Amino acid sequence: MNEYVIRFSVRQRIEHLFVMLLFVVLGLSGLAQKFFEAQWAQWVIAAMGGIHRVRWVHRGAGILFAAVVAAHIAAALVLVISKRTSPSMVITRKDFRDAVMMMRYYLRVSDEQARFDRYDYRQKFEYWGMVVGSLLMIVTGLMLFFPVLTTRFLPGEFIPAARTAHSNEGLLAFLIVITWHIYNAHLSPDVFPFDVGIFTGKVSHERMEKEHPLEYERMRASAEREKRAHSQA
Amino acid sequence: MVAAGAIVALAGGQRAAAASDPPSNATCMACHGNQAFAAKLGDGEKLSLYVDAQGFAHSVHGGKLACTDCHSDITTVPHPPKLFQNRHAMRLAYYELCKQCHFPEYSRLLDGVHYAEISKGNQGAPTCVDCHGSHAITPPARPRALTSRTCAKCHSAIAAAYVKSVHGKALLEEDNGDVPVCTDCHHPHDNTNPTSASWHLGIPQLCARCHTNKEMMAKYGISTQVLTTYLTDFHGMTVSMERYEKTDPREFTATCTDCHGVHDISRVEGLSTAVIKANLLTVCRRCHAGAGPNFPSAWIGHYEASPRHAPLVYAVKIFYIIFIPFVIGGLVLQILLHLWRVVVNR
Repeated sequence: MNEYVIRFSVRQRIEHLFVMLLFVVLGLSGLAQKFFEAQWAQWVIAAMGGIHRVRWVHRGAGILFAAVVAAHIAAALVLVISKRTSPSMVITRKDFRDAVMMMRYYLRVSDEQARFDRYDYRQKFEYWGMVVGSLLMIVTGLMLFFPVLTTRFLPGEFIPAARTAHSNEGLLAFLIVITWHIYNAHLSPDVFPFDVGIFTGKVSHERMEKEHPLEYERMRASAEREKRAHSQA
Repeated sequence: MVAAGAIVALAGGQRAAAASDPPSNATCMACHGNQAFAAKLGDGEKLSLYVDAQGFAHSVHGGKLACTDCHSDITTVPHPPKLFQNRHAMRLAYYELCKQCHFPEYSRLLDGVHYAEISKGNQGAPTCVDCHGSHAITPPARPRALTSRTCAKCHSAIAAAYVKSVHGKALLEEDNGDVPVCTDCHHPHDNTNPTSASWHLGIPQLCARCHTNKEMMAKYGISTQVLTTYLTDFHGMTVSMERYEKTDPREFTATCTDCHGVHDISRVEGLSTAVIKANLLTVCRRCHAGAGPNFPSAWIGHYEASPRHAPLVYAVKIFYIIFIPFVIGGLVLQILLHLWRVVVNR
């Protein structure tokens, strides 16, 4: 048996890398525009070569990001429809039960912890938040990129509304990443200092057993079956 | 010799004439008080050498300066004839006389567009005397409308637009002390080129000097939010950033004057929304080719978004004011609970 479980495919690892890098570029160039009156923002804008270049960098990175999101959704649809993967990100009733159970655990009402499958309710929350947020950012971003085209179909007020939404949604995404994601990937006592799983694709058996017991048991069971099939052959 | 004469003249203007003293005003007026006294310039133009003694007496310098305080090169009477090719050459020879006393104005002039034209050899460019006059100099802004009339001598098309504008009308019809005359926006001496990028980028702050003055605007019922509402918008932000960067932008972003007009600024109130939108669309299309009739409403006017003005923008804003703290608060709470349980488990 391997020392590690391969949890993330190469495609997933590359996707994460792209999203991470583009998020940094978009966040920096976007928040600097949102807070352009602040000293730090002016420093960032000057370092990136002025407001006009910052805007083009932001638009370019935004287009790339949209492409990554489109590729992800297309790949996910193909994989799920062709039944090569199970739709493990779909939110089920169990997720709500798990969330309640974990709240009871945290509040010391009970000592029993929820047992998770491939993705726990927190990961699903972050994933779907990210998908919905990304789509909103892409749509409002394109509206702001092409205001003349947008107002051919929509009232003019949609442009400042898109600006308000884009700006606030961007801030929200940034705040979620620096609190929630940084905690879960770096600062949480469970993974401190760095959960490298999404970069290497590998996760230890101990962690799998602890964090995703349902998936782990399924993996073990199917490995057992395969082993038996081999020995019988 | 000239310098020595000037010092003597400044020190002894009121002294009784002595043999070595410069000629007195009366001596000068013996010839220059004659209305027919004239000379021919090099280009053949007849130049009157008459000085109106009454006009000088009532001028700002009347009773304070003697003829020779300015014309300090005249030490004897009769003085040798002065030869000038034309009026322009004469003005150039004389305008520097003023700096003996008015040095700050002179040094500012050196930074102005008029001086740049003078040094390029533009014969139409004004020197001190063209705006202020020579012998009958009166305070330049008394009454305030005088300033506009002075500039109108050359800038007649602009002056014609200005008198019809909301500012010009208030000045001429009510002698309004709040509205700007030419020199309130364009410095009188170090006037910068108003077609330059740096001028363009400074327009919002220029208009804001009066339009953010609560006391002044209250008299006319004009909002003082005009600057902040502009600056937080996309165009205003662009202009602010270009100002910080101190590099000339490749293309101009719309500022106050692009929508409201420059010298022909008129009232917005009283116009129907349809007219304003139609006018705006023409302005928008200057940069946004192909903009349709919905496009101008992308600018929600000089209003903060509210349920009345731009309800959609307001709704989005309110949603995030609630949603962001709700989400981040919830996540931070979950993190703290998680940490707390880890600590308890130990």
